[in-house]
Amino acid sequence: MSTNLKGALLPAEGGAQKGIINFAKQALKQGVFDAVLIPSRVPAGDSFAYFLIRNEAVLEGASPLSPIMPVQGARVISSITRRGKGNNRIAAIMRPCEARATIELAKLGQVDLENITIITIDCPGVIPLSDYFRDAGKGDKVFEDASQNWNSEPMRPVCRICDKFSSVGAEDLHIGIMGAKSGSILLVPHNPKGEDILNKMGLSLEGDVNDWEASVNKLTEERKQKRNQSNQALRSDIAGIDRLVETFSACINCHNCMRVCPICYCRQCHFDSDKMKFSFEDYLTRAEARGGLMVPTDTLLFHIGRMLHMSLSCVSCGMCEDACPMAIPVAQVFTLVGDRNQGEFDYVPGRSVDEPLPLTTFEEEEFLEVEQSYAGVSARQENQND
Amino acid sequence: MQESLPDRRTRMTKVLSINKSPEDGLKELLRFLIENGKVKGVVALRKMGEYGAISYSLITNPGDIESTVPLFPLMPVNLAKQLSLLTLIEAATEPIAVVLRPCELRAFVELVKRTQGSLENILFISSTCGGVYPLEMAVEGNIGEHLPKYWKAVGQGELVANTRLACRACEYFVPYTADITVSLLGNKSIEKETTLFLNTEKGESIVEGISGKFSEGDLDTTTMEQIRSKRKAEKEKLSDEVELRNLGIDEITKTFSRCIGCRNCSKVCPACYCHVCFFETETSQHGPVYYERELDKKGCANMLSDTIFYHLVRLFHVSTSCTACGQCADVCPANIPLWAISLKMGEAVQKAFNYLPGKNIEEGLPITTFVPEEFAGIV
Repeated sequence: MSTNLKGALLPAEGGAQKGIINFAKQALKQGVFDAVLIPSRVPAGDSFAYFLIRNEAVLEGASPLSPIMPVQGARVISSITRRGKGNNRIAAIMRPCEARATIELAKLGQVDLENITIITIDCPGVIPLSDYFRDAGKGDKVFEDASQNWNSEPMRPVCRICDKFSSVGAEDLHIGIMGAKSGSILLVPHNPKGEDILNKMGLSLEGDVNDWEASVNKLTEERKQKRNQSNQALRSDIAGIDRLVETFSACINCHNCMRVCPICYCRQCHFDSDKMKFSFEDYLTRAEARGGLMVPTDTLLFHIGRMLHMSLSCVSCGMCEDACPMAIPVAQVFTLVGDRNQGEFDYVPGRSVDEPLPLTTFEEEEFLEVEQSYAGVSARQENQND
Repeated sequence: MQESLPDRRTRMTKVLSINKSPEDGLKELLRFLIENGKVKGVVALRKMGEYGAISYSLITNPGDIESTVPLFPLMPVNLAKQLSLLTLIEAATEPIAVVLRPCELRAFVELVKRTQGSLENILFISSTCGGVYPLEMAVEGNIGEHLPKYWKAVGQGELVANTRLACRACEYFVPYTADITVSLLGNKSIEKETTLFLNTEKGESIVEGISGKFSEGDLDTTTMEQIRSKRKAEKEKLSDEVELRNLGIDEITKTFSRCIGCRNCSKVCPACYCHVCFFETETSQHGPVYYERELDKKGCANMLSDTIFYHLVRLFHVSTSCTACGQCADVCPANIPLWAISLKMGEAVQKAFNYLPGKNIEEGLPITTFVPEEFAGIV
């Protein structure tokens, strides 16, 4: 996090959530935006969805700190802007991992950011869908209690090890709710677009950001450690082909991890295409060669293929794991692999919209050690052939 | 729906008895079929490695039959969908035997009617089905503990506790078009004996040479009807519990309000066979103009509002072929009682057409069979 951040304090007497809603209402009233995209409770009361809201009264019932993430916000922004930026200037109030995935989708040509202002919130995490839907009332209570103390225990496993729960730098404006003086929230702009919002709203950048920064930094460090430990532990559980096969052996090939993933944007997944339909003869041959063919087929190939395609942009949001009917720790596995792959390229998905995707950036000098080892192998082979 | 149970009154059915529990007896049959070259392969549930995950597997080596668990009460996938994949490009080029549940068999027959697979060269082995446990229980990993209770209840023809709600409410537990039916429900001797009804000539001839006792008989109709009454009563009770008596617009809106739009219900559904779902095409995507209009009209737009439309269209599309397997409900991340909705819708539509999906391959699909006099009251 940059050290010379400035922020504006906004009173939030009824708590952070109320403060955020009031801020959004003011912004709408003052014509800073035409609409606000924000999670809200559905009319039936037992779930949440993103609502695009212009009406201030409707905004009153919004839940920016919803206890669950039924849909990843990046997907929502993609569905609004993929076919054109439209005329509405929209403020998207979302969690940091949703903002980061939005940035990745913008780089992948699936989001048009021109009319979108991304506003992130310090995120206490979300509780798993399966826990919540067992008893929504209880879920609300569990989340409320835990989020007030920044206790991540009841949250998604990847939320517990999330070290990017606060400002990520790619958003236009961040809302700090952590450690902010009680009864207020902190508005931290990250670029001229964000500063412009506060200017228009007549908010000056005189708030004290030190407390907030200190709390964020402290938890970030704790989470980093936890993340490393968790990655290491998982690594010893799943490394090697046998353990990998075992980890995914319960997979029923429903591809729901892919469909809820904000990064998996292909209109037609290769693994759902006719390319993956084979002749009976082919299946029989494979069964004979391997001593049995698991039906559904090619489940592990799907996961590895998906991993290869999206792990550089994976933001560890945990949607995949929540949507898996077999409770395979998909998000944890992808976090482990994503961290490592992203580290190789010194790339943080969603950190900056200007940072190009690693695979679209060719650098001649990169990964020489990999190249050389192959050169060595082929030289040895040539020697043997001589 | 007052569809009768399979009736084989024209003559008594040949019966093969093997002196082992049904699971072991069935394994013996499968081994016999492969070893004697009667089939090239077998598709059955199998324990995958030490981890204990259960999956269907295509097996060609008789030595691998030991690792199968053909009657394990779990449906990781509806096999109809997988059989469709195996036989979509070409029919089975070699004979195979398949062990599956009555609803899976019916669903596959429906898929074949829709030209999504072929019955050719497949020996269908099914059973009078006690139901399966929810996938959730496989995740918790404690199905093993429930097995003794499962088999006890099945043998006594009782409802099995903790099985899928769709299974508890299922009236079609006797397979219609199986070549061989394993008698399980209400079969008091299942602990020590496998009773196989050889329903077809294919079923009769393929077991020739196996060691076992041959006789003639039929499923006990009275027992089957008793079980059916229990299931029916349970269905009524469960329908009350999910509050689906009156599926009006309010109930529908409320029921689907939790939907996260993942469409996994369609992905695992054997009746949803479209290679590209309409709801995943460009046609069904909104442009910015749509959202602007919604904002002008209502001041807000629910970004998950199309989910009810999706569910209604899906119900409409699958209702004639839905075999109420319950896979949709099991994979729903939002815990929506989809099984009950599909069942209710399916029953109503199937009754209107006097059609039971998967009962008979010769029977045309209601939607593709034009009857000029039909629904005169509506026209």
